[in-house]
Amino acid sequence: MSHALSVTGLGKLYKLYDTPRARLKALLTGRETHRPHWALADVSFALKRGQCLGVIGDNGAGKSTLLKLVAGTLQPTTGDIVRGGDGRVTAILELGAGFHPDFTGRENLRFAGALIGVSEQEVARLEASIIAFAELEQAIDRPVKTYSSGMTVRLAFSLATAVEPDILIIDEALAVGDQHFQKKCVERIDLFRRAGCTILFCSHSQYHVRQLCDSALWLDGGRARLLGPTELVLAGYEAHVRMLDTQRSAPSEVVARSAEGRAILEPGRRAAITAMTVAPLDDGDPPRLQGADLTVRVTASVVGDERPNFGVMLEQAGGVGITVVATHVDGAVATRQPDGTWIATVTFPDLPLHSGEYLVSAYLGDSLGMVIYDEWLQHARFVYASPARLPGLVSLKHHWS
Amino acid sequence: MILPALQAEFEALWRARGLLAMMARRELAARHAGSVLGVFWLYAQPLLTIAAYYLVFDVVFKMRLGENAPTRAVGAYLIVGMVPWIAFCEATSRGMASLLEAGALLQKNPLPPALFPARAVLTAAVIYLPLSLVLVAAYAPLHGFSPPLLLLPLLMAAMLVIWFLLAYTLAILAAALRDVVQIVAFLLAIGVFFSPVLFPPAMFPSVLAWMLWLNPITPGVLGLQSLLLAGKVPGAEIWLGLAAWAVLLALLLDRLVARSREQLVDWL
Repeated sequence: MSHALSVTGLGKLYKLYDTPRARLKALLTGRETHRPHWALADVSFALKRGQCLGVIGDNGAGKSTLLKLVAGTLQPTTGDIVRGGDGRVTAILELGAGFHPDFTGRENLRFAGALIGVSEQEVARLEASIIAFAELEQAIDRPVKTYSSGMTVRLAFSLATAVEPDILIIDEALAVGDQHFQKKCVERIDLFRRAGCTILFCSHSQYHVRQLCDSALWLDGGRARLLGPTELVLAGYEAHVRMLDTQRSAPSEVVARSAEGRAILEPGRRAAITAMTVAPLDDGDPPRLQGADLTVRVTASVVGDERPNFGVMLEQAGGVGITVVATHVDGAVATRQPDGTWIATVTFPDLPLHSGEYLVSAYLGDSLGMVIYDEWLQHARFVYASPARLPGLVSLKHHWS
Repeated sequence: MILPALQAEFEALWRARGLLAMMARRELAARHAGSVLGVFWLYAQPLLTIAAYYLVFDVVFKMRLGENAPTRAVGAYLIVGMVPWIAFCEATSRGMASLLEAGALLQKNPLPPALFPARAVLTAAVIYLPLSLVLVAAYAPLHGFSPPLLLLPLLMAAMLVIWFLLAYTLAILAAALRDVVQIVAFLLAIGVFFSPVLFPPAMFPSVLAWMLWLNPITPGVLGLQSLLLAGKVPGAEIWLGLAAWAVLLALLLDRLVARSREQLVDWL
């Protein structure tokens, strides 16, 4: 089977000149006086139809450069990009570039559509659905300068994804709009993926990379550090991030957060965690787990009747993540309280941990587990004194023979 | 293949011609967006300039040029030179700034950079070509619509090609070094004095006359004066001048495009 997108030996050299004058001189005389900087070097991968590649890495690792090269806004210095067939490529690199503030939303659709390769006829045909998806029926005939930034972004995303592409390139675009619209964005992207669209996805949200991508590419200093199944690459990257964290600073103090939850949702928020309790703890500082069973209870408020999903992460203080559990993965459901809030309680019986200090985080996701509505990171801390008398992190099930 | 880089640019431009037309339309619409009289303003400025020259020089003061000019009427002489000069200044300065202004757009969308200087020249043409027809209607009766007027489209096409090559060249240079914008703005401000727009070449001291040809507008304006005012076929030196400017700019632009293509967008 031929590849929908194949990239071989891709590299991008930036020529750094000491002054703009040196740049002009080089341009006019053709003499090279620059210092070379490889933003991306020797990156290769191939994607089949319907595959989704997540691109991860630190800032400046070359993620955006890679995406721009594949999108065609930058010209590669070395290597080849082959797009299967004459597939339609849609790049969501920054939303709303090309909108003119003095024109109405409707007028802008036509022009911005032409810029991204959607013809006038197509825009005319799809106009109603674009406006409906952006939820701008009321504002579409007002000049774009009267829009809020969220409205502009909604219109731009709706336009960019109005025509189903063969290759979709997304750079951090999921961090747009309010939670309600984010959810729609993720769902639409997921729909494309199911329909066979090849996706190149760059995000700092490891959660979204996990949910959407079947493989991942970890870029480090412009080079491919690891390419493979998402979980494998993310695990490697997480270990790298933790190592950097410990190198850079002493284990950071967990910021004490008020245990009192937000009982009422702020305007515009679709869902929020309102409380999290860890039991049974004593009242020491840090508190000590009483007994061997750990119970974490998370309470959340959600607009409407959507049944949210909950996640709980357990990690070693200043160290490694130990486990994440989530309702949608385990097939569990949260229970609704008479006052409309949702509660999920998870119990780790006979905690198989060694002695140490531990942190608990809580996550709140949508009904499909696709969108993270809220997260309380490292919100609770406790000390556990294990009966195990040997060093280690966890007690694994084992037997001798 | 000669000038491969430039040829690729023109091919990309041709493929995106629909988008170019739309961008030009929108550029014109944006200039008068929110005004009541709308498109009228695009033509009002040059029309009022023409009217002022006509009234002041040809009606009120009835000034006359000497023997070696294509016409005796100072107003007519100035108008035929000034209309292309204003158009040239607009195409050049807007074209030069076009890539810098389009930076955000070019970084986010895979578009041929040549679109932007081409749009600047195209919008200038859309405004000033109809005005040239007005000039034909006004001055052709002087020589009874003589047949050489048929060369007018050829002359104007040559001028537009030169303007585009110049605008794109300056746009790339301005992307590399912003100071280019200031320098060219100054040259455009004084350039009219080193051209046949205000004074017939015969009035220039003979030691300085050759300098007129350093101005890219000179062959075009001389050609227009010859066609519109005298009804004569422009002389060989005019066609040579046009060809020389076009070839020199094409060679330079081809080099610049080849050297900057890979990084142009990063400079914006």
